[in-house]
Amino acid sequence: MAEIVSRISVVCFAASYAVALACEGSRLLFRSGIRGAVMVGFAAAGVLAHTLFLGWRAANEPAVPLSSAYDWYLLAAWLLACGSLWLTVANPRTPTGLFMLPLVLSLIGAAEMSSRAPFPQSPATQVWGAIHGSFNLAASVAVAFGAIAGMMWLIQAGRLARKQAPAQGFRMPSLEKLARFTGRSATIAAWAAAAGFASGIVLNAVNRQQGLLESIPWNDPVILRMGALVAWLVTAALLERAASRRPDGPRTIALLSLVSLGVLTLSILWGLFGASRHGVPPRQTGPLPMPAAEQVMLTVALPTAPAPRPGVIR
Amino acid sequence: MTLAFVGGSHRTVPMELRERLAFSAEQAAVALRRFRQRFPGREGVLLSTCNRVELYAASEHDSEPPAPRQLVDFLAECRGIDAALLAPVLAGENDQAAVHHLFSVASGLDSMVLGEPQIVAQVKQAWALAQEEQTAGPLTGGMFQAALRTAKRVATETAIGRERLSIPSIAVADFARGVFERFDDKRVLLVGAGKMAHETLRYLRDAGARDIVIVNRSMARAEDLATRLGARAARFSDLLDELVRADLVVSTTGATEPVVTLDLFTGAERRRGGRPLLVLDLAMPRDFDPRIGARPGVWLYSIDDLGAACDANRKTRQREMPGALAIVEEEAQRFMGDLHHRSSAPVIEQLRAGWTETGESELDRLFRRLPGLDDTARAEIRQSFQRYAAKLLHSPLTSLRNESHSGPPHGLLDALRRLFDLKD
Repeated sequence: MAEIVSRISVVCFAASYAVALACEGSRLLFRSGIRGAVMVGFAAAGVLAHTLFLGWRAANEPAVPLSSAYDWYLLAAWLLACGSLWLTVANPRTPTGLFMLPLVLSLIGAAEMSSRAPFPQSPATQVWGAIHGSFNLAASVAVAFGAIAGMMWLIQAGRLARKQAPAQGFRMPSLEKLARFTGRSATIAAWAAAAGFASGIVLNAVNRQQGLLESIPWNDPVILRMGALVAWLVTAALLERAASRRPDGPRTIALLSLVSLGVLTLSILWGLFGASRHGVPPRQTGPLPMPAAEQVMLTVALPTAPAPRPGVIR
Repeated sequence: MTLAFVGGSHRTVPMELRERLAFSAEQAAVALRRFRQRFPGREGVLLSTCNRVELYAASEHDSEPPAPRQLVDFLAECRGIDAALLAPVLAGENDQAAVHHLFSVASGLDSMVLGEPQIVAQVKQAWALAQEEQTAGPLTGGMFQAALRTAKRVATETAIGRERLSIPSIAVADFARGVFERFDDKRVLLVGAGKMAHETLRYLRDAGARDIVIVNRSMARAEDLATRLGARAARFSDLLDELVRADLVVSTTGATEPVVTLDLFTGAERRRGGRPLLVLDLAMPRDFDPRIGARPGVWLYSIDDLGAACDANRKTRQREMPGALAIVEEEAQRFMGDLHHRSSAPVIEQLRAGWTETGESELDRLFRRLPGLDDTARAEIRQSFQRYAAKLLHSPLTSLRNESHSGPPHGLLDALRRLFDLKD
């Protein structure tokens, strides 16, 4: 059994999600009696393989479980995939996977481009690191869910405005449900991102107190973009709250949720391709580490580097 | 000929005659009892709905089912109608055509509203009643089960019954449910008491709506309607206030000018707190100024908008017709193939029994000549004999089954009887 689990690769579950996505897409083209079962089967197989893969990594990695950028993206993808599967089973006539699975596959792609080396941890920073990572994960997943609901709201509203009956196999949830979901996701994302940012500051303060950091790197690009992301999510949540009592409020909320996803995507791309000192060893001098495919957007700032890299002077 | 049906539907029988011909459940039970006495040993199922009356008859083995003319006379007698009136408007079919017809009926392809699903339950009821009255049998049983299977395939593999066709059902299922998730916490305002109001309210009630207010120019009429529909009546002069409180408006007045003008609505809009409003304007001429539909948070649908959605759905159903007919044809052919194959069962049994008997006698002879064989060896040899016989029989049986697809395999059966000296 262990040997079988150890052979599960990212390709296994990514391919399963891709087939489930293709099945979802085919709803728009033709009808089929068995498509739903095939779709759920592939999505469930993907989630199972994904779960076993993460479990295997958590059990066999020498460092703290799931503490690399690679694991973080895969964990975010896993949460979205579980959500997609659950929503597909609960609402079989809604093409949820058509919206969620591309995000899942994108996160898996981002994982493949990011570092697998675990972020260095010390007993003193482990708890704060876990809190920081978990809040940031929750914020990102909430943004993704909110944006999907917002996109569905706009599609549903467009259909209702054109006075058309729902297209075959493309029945969206009600505007009321989607607006409520989008609004709640925005609130959760704002709170979680703020908590993630605050816990990151505490984490750095602990490191500094223990002499692992000379000072908190406030001007580090990762901290700056994280700060910008938190500022945007909090602003978006406040704007959404203000708009909720206006007749065109749900549309504004839906559009804001899409902007939030755009901001998050930019932040992730910046994390993947930009340069940062975030997460590199303390007391290190010289040029900034190179891209950051090794860096993670929402990660703990920790004192030692995972591995030597060109351009990093120890 | 083993299967037959006679019957008429909304296509051929005038409504007055259809009303006289229709059977209630009790009358159908009495008719089936009479059928059993009149045609002993024959199977019969009576399908009577508001749009059709059809009598299916079948007979196993070599006896014939009642001729269509006898079935027409029987129906006329049961309902006390002159058979001469019925004969010109009823249709009759035999065998594959009868099967094809039942499968089409069960799938809703012969219904007044193409693809309507209620017919499946009616076919099930007809079959259950025939079972209760002991006029059902293996042939009609197989035929009706295959009909229900066909209906299920048509429903799942095509979209013929998927789209709604009535304006109130589309208004609620495709539009109101698109805006609101639940209706038990929504205020429904009914303006006027037009004919479509009842049906729309019925759908809304099914969806969970409980808080319903009726506004009508005549307070007495509003109160009367409110009592009947379990709603609350309000004065017409309170229309503005009711608009402020409403989440969903169904408007069906007979007014010749818009009842809710843009100015009136703008007054209500300011006090609504940004809540969305769904308006189903089912009146002609319209009760709501169409410019209200452009206001943010307002979803306004006129009867023409909903009618257009109905037409689109109707066309969708029509487009599914070829696929549905192909399923019916395939299932009818499969059923007839199985039915024809059943007729060869006695010959196959004789053939199998003859070969088994010969094999057993040869085995006895062999075992007598080889007394030293132990039980294991004997069992092995016996099994080999059986496998050999089964393999020899395989080709003729396959030929018989293949031949059954194009009709009763009389030629092959006759050849087998003559070649292997089988008795009838």
